[in-house]
Amino acid sequence: MSNYYNMPKLPTENSPKVEIFVDDRAVMVPGDTNLLEALKAVGIETPHVCYHPYLPVSGNCRQCLVEQEGPRGRMLVISCYTPVTPGMKIYTPASSARVKNARKATQEFMLVNHPLDCPICDKAGECTLQENYMEAGQNEGRLRPEYGKNYHGNPEHQFIDAKGQLRGGKHVDIGPRILLDEERCVQCDRCVRFMRSIAKDEQLQLAGRADHTYITTFPGEKLDHEYDLCVTDVCPTGAMTAKYFRFQKRVWLLAHTPTISMDDSLGANIWLDHADGRIYRVMPRCNPEVNRSWLSNTSRLAFQQFDKNRLPAIDASAIQISGGKVALVAGGACTNEDLAALKMLKDALGDRAELFGGSLLKVGAPDGIAKSGDPVANRAGMQLMGFADVAELLKRAGEFSNLITVNADLYGEDAAAAKALDKISNRIALSAFDDATAKKAKVAFGIRHWSEVQGTMVNSLNILQKLSAAPTCPDEKLAPAYEVISTLAGNKFNSACEAFMKAREYVPAFADITYDAIKSTGKLLGGNA
Amino acid sequence: MDIIESKTWIEWAITIAKFAFCFVPVLYILLLIPMERRGAGFMQDRQGPNRSYIKIPYFGKIRLLGYVQNMCDGTKLFFKEMFAPAGVNKLLYYVAPAIPFAIVFLSPCVIPWFGPMIFDWGGETVRIAGSIIDSDVGVLLLFGFSSISAYGAMLAGWASKSKYSFLGALRTSSMTISYEVCLGLSLMGILLLAGSFNLTDIVQWQENHVWGIVAQPVAFFCFLIASIAETGRAPFDVAEGEPELVAGYHTEYGAMQFGLFYMGEYSHICINSFLIATLFLGGYAVPFVTTETMQEHMGGSLAILCGVLAFIALAFLHMIYRYSRKLKATNLTNRFEILKEYKLYKIVAWVAAAAFIALGVCAWFFYNPENFVVNGLAVGSFATAVGTALIHLLVLVAKSLIFCWVWIWVRWTLPRFRYDHVMHLGWKIILNIALINLVVTAVIAKLLGGN
Amino acid sequence: MRVIKQKPMTVIERLYIFEAIRGLWTTLKHAARGLFRYETLPTISYPEGQPEIRNTYRAKHRLMLRPDGTPRCVACGMCAAACPAHCIFIEATQSDDPRIEKRVMRFDIDHLTCVFCGLCAEACPVDALRMDTKQIIFEHRSREDFVAHLYDLTNWDPKDYPNDEQSQMAPGGTKNAEARKVWGMEVK
Repeated sequence: MSNYYNMPKLPTENSPKVEIFVDDRAVMVPGDTNLLEALKAVGIETPHVCYHPYLPVSGNCRQCLVEQEGPRGRMLVISCYTPVTPGMKIYTPASSARVKNARKATQEFMLVNHPLDCPICDKAGECTLQENYMEAGQNEGRLRPEYGKNYHGNPEHQFIDAKGQLRGGKHVDIGPRILLDEERCVQCDRCVRFMRSIAKDEQLQLAGRADHTYITTFPGEKLDHEYDLCVTDVCPTGAMTAKYFRFQKRVWLLAHTPTISMDDSLGANIWLDHADGRIYRVMPRCNPEVNRSWLSNTSRLAFQQFDKNRLPAIDASAIQISGGKVALVAGGACTNEDLAALKMLKDALGDRAELFGGSLLKVGAPDGIAKSGDPVANRAGMQLMGFADVAELLKRAGEFSNLITVNADLYGEDAAAAKALDKISNRIALSAFDDATAKKAKVAFGIRHWSEVQGTMVNSLNILQKLSAAPTCPDEKLAPAYEVISTLAGNKFNSACEAFMKAREYVPAFADITYDAIKSTGKLLGGNA
Repeated sequence: MDIIESKTWIEWAITIAKFAFCFVPVLYILLLIPMERRGAGFMQDRQGPNRSYIKIPYFGKIRLLGYVQNMCDGTKLFFKEMFAPAGVNKLLYYVAPAIPFAIVFLSPCVIPWFGPMIFDWGGETVRIAGSIIDSDVGVLLLFGFSSISAYGAMLAGWASKSKYSFLGALRTSSMTISYEVCLGLSLMGILLLAGSFNLTDIVQWQENHVWGIVAQPVAFFCFLIASIAETGRAPFDVAEGEPELVAGYHTEYGAMQFGLFYMGEYSHICINSFLIATLFLGGYAVPFVTTETMQEHMGGSLAILCGVLAFIALAFLHMIYRYSRKLKATNLTNRFEILKEYKLYKIVAWVAAAAFIALGVCAWFFYNPENFVVNGLAVGSFATAVGTALIHLLVLVAKSLIFCWVWIWVRWTLPRFRYDHVMHLGWKIILNIALINLVVTAVIAKLLGGN
Repeated sequence: MRVIKQKPMTVIERLYIFEAIRGLWTTLKHAARGLFRYETLPTISYPEGQPEIRNTYRAKHRLMLRPDGTPRCVACGMCAAACPAHCIFIEATQSDDPRIEKRVMRFDIDHLTCVFCGLCAEACPVDALRMDTKQIIFEHRSREDFVAHLYDLTNWDPKDYPNDEQSQMAPGGTKNAEARKVWGMEVK
């Protein structure tokens, strides 16, 4: 992953187990990691602010204090930067009042300059400070009410800190997608570390000293990066807020659906956060093997188009396949189930049908964070199923008289190249959106978007990942692509499970996998595709 | 012809006019329903129904102290659709409510509404009984009639083709039969003393000796309880106990058919009140004054009657004025409307009070039977007789109203008995008490050497 | 377990008749009161007479106003979170006033669903939501009209709350001018 020396080592399944003593009880913990992760592995949560499993350890918040028996007696150490050593003796607040008081004092000190903005803060509900307060703090306020604690903004967006000084900005337009509230910032420098060591573009810095420290960009520059919205995720408080989600919904009202972002062949794991049948935001879902905790802005903001320009559901009988050869084209967002259904349709049509897959977009280079650069998300799945590349179809377009595209906007991707398809007379588009291909097609058939279907995909790392359906479909009559195609093939799949069973018949690599056996973090397929 | 000529025309006129008394129970219904409703309201610290009104010019919305509500209810019942449940015996179903209501017109026949009118008419002495039928078996006749009303309930329950109705009917009939026994037995004491079944004779015995309630206090209580039970009202309304039987025998009835049962029940109360007043409270007899004394001083008697009525009018006025004063101090948004309405009551009551006082003064000073001559016929004694009858009638009405109130009062105070308790009370307690009372009365009467 | 032993009835009580007479006496007293002291009956002849409502009575809601007339509500959603009947619907937006970050755009209370428990007023962190209007009559033509919107909730008159200092700071109140000075600049 990162070659930074202080990147935390996370425990894996293969970590060696060592025995340490927590609160005088012997427990077996992973031996090659830090104490915080080791304690987490045995179910002891340690409050922390600056520590993040995928960011270099900074150790500046001092919230994760534990007591360690050392040569000079019991000492307070930060668990995030203390490696596990066999036989070490650790004391948590469960047995040590000193740890408890130290954490409480740290917590109180951290909240001294933190405003009581929770009612108007978008982070409220998933805020690390709130969690820590409930777990380690619970202290009475000892500040005068005129300072901090209440929203005391002024026309210049300044605030009065605990010393009564007017400073900072509560409404700093730090970049095109991010707003910064300096009063809420606790200077954990997670965002700085993210930009430095993950985004590899050091746009954020901590400026000033002591309690005047604040987050800022270089003079005259803005925070603008493909991954800049990740700083809102790593921010433990509401200091960095995303403009697109600002004041949209209180987070506890959102329901979460785990799925896969189908716009890149890495298949970033995401949460679709939705309420009232509408997606409000997309959050990265931690998958250590795939995208860790990161998500590109493109994938994150794509949801804003999911419910726009949709095709309506029409009757399946509108799809008529005439004589002559049939080209079945699967787009990048097709799940394995859709592919299996297409393959079944090909079998039903016999030799006159051929399968193609992919898109006309250029394949970029992987950025090493959460994107592989390949816009065909399920390219590995297509290869497993034996789909030819769509470029071949363009060459041989003259042979075909029927074209069925599934989620493949060939005209939208490269109108010039797709002109070759004009030769095919009977063009049928199965698509979620009323895109260029759908507009040019003889029959445009509305299907469900990938955020609304169940299914599986194989990403560029050869990991089989599972998609779940968010209840955000604008029209209940819309059906998933596999259902429509399998109906055409004469053997309707009623569920994604059934479709996956069919896919198992076609792909030997899926042979001993059941749908339920795929974990939320996916399943690495054995062998090469 | 002989029959017609056997009596003078005035005798015939009065005899026929007496049939108007048949309608007394029906009129009482009009009185009892508001009395029950608002009385119940007051007992429960409510106001009772008082919102319906008739709009008249100048005085605005006239509510007649809540009386209009009953007119509205009656109108509603009268104009509702009459229907029968599927599969009932239509004939029995429609006849059943008519039976108790028909009894209403028969029962008043034997009640003596006033003392026998005896007066000279052109030299002849005319004697007219106070009851419509001056029967020697008056009491028995009355009991007979009231037993027939049980048929109404029986038929209703049977014809309704509903188990609730049927159970209600069974309970009603068994209870009616049980308590008729008590009713009859508790009455025997007073009959023994009076030595007659004729109600006029019983009243006259009480007038001459002592009121039945004093002579037969135990019998009075037994009779009161038994007759409450016989009318089937709380605390003995097991026949229509809502928690058990929906509404008893009239569950399936609606509209005016139900209305007939309802009116039958109230007129039954009325008849029983009159009966108790007659048997135990001296009937039409004016307390502490004999009929002879009253007739001797007819002018004074009428003056006192007018005085009593004037007092009632003045008392009413006092209440109205008092409440108007209080009402002005409240912040009810409709208080001026109500005050305007009260203006009408004030005018009526003032006029009534003035009229009664004037009549009373006239009667006191100018009543002289010797002066009453019409077309050369001395009608002085006739006028005295009519005056006596009027006073008697009003006294009887006053007494019966007390018992009507008792019915309402008891109903809204005491909880319902369980059915077996009702039977237990009837057969094992009241019947025995009545029997013992009869024996003791007979022994004492014999020892004192009565008739 | 506590067993409460009932006192056995005395002979007089078991006779029932005397107890019945006692009961009759009680009801007679009440009937006489209704007849002769009609005005002392506790019944209020609603709607001509209105019941007296205390300040603490949980009636229809209102939203408190800042001195400049904007609702105090910051759309934090605490009331909606506290609401057991889920009858409060809030949408927030960015405020034009730089001193205020978040402002309420939509605030609907469905009074047909509301159970008037008062938890929303209790939960409000800025004392914006109150239930002291003493309005207990809800009569409307359609179900939609029972939903109180932002306009209905903020459309109250400070004169109805003469003793409440906070209400007087709203526009039209006696303390508004004073509060405006403290509040500072005018906001359009």
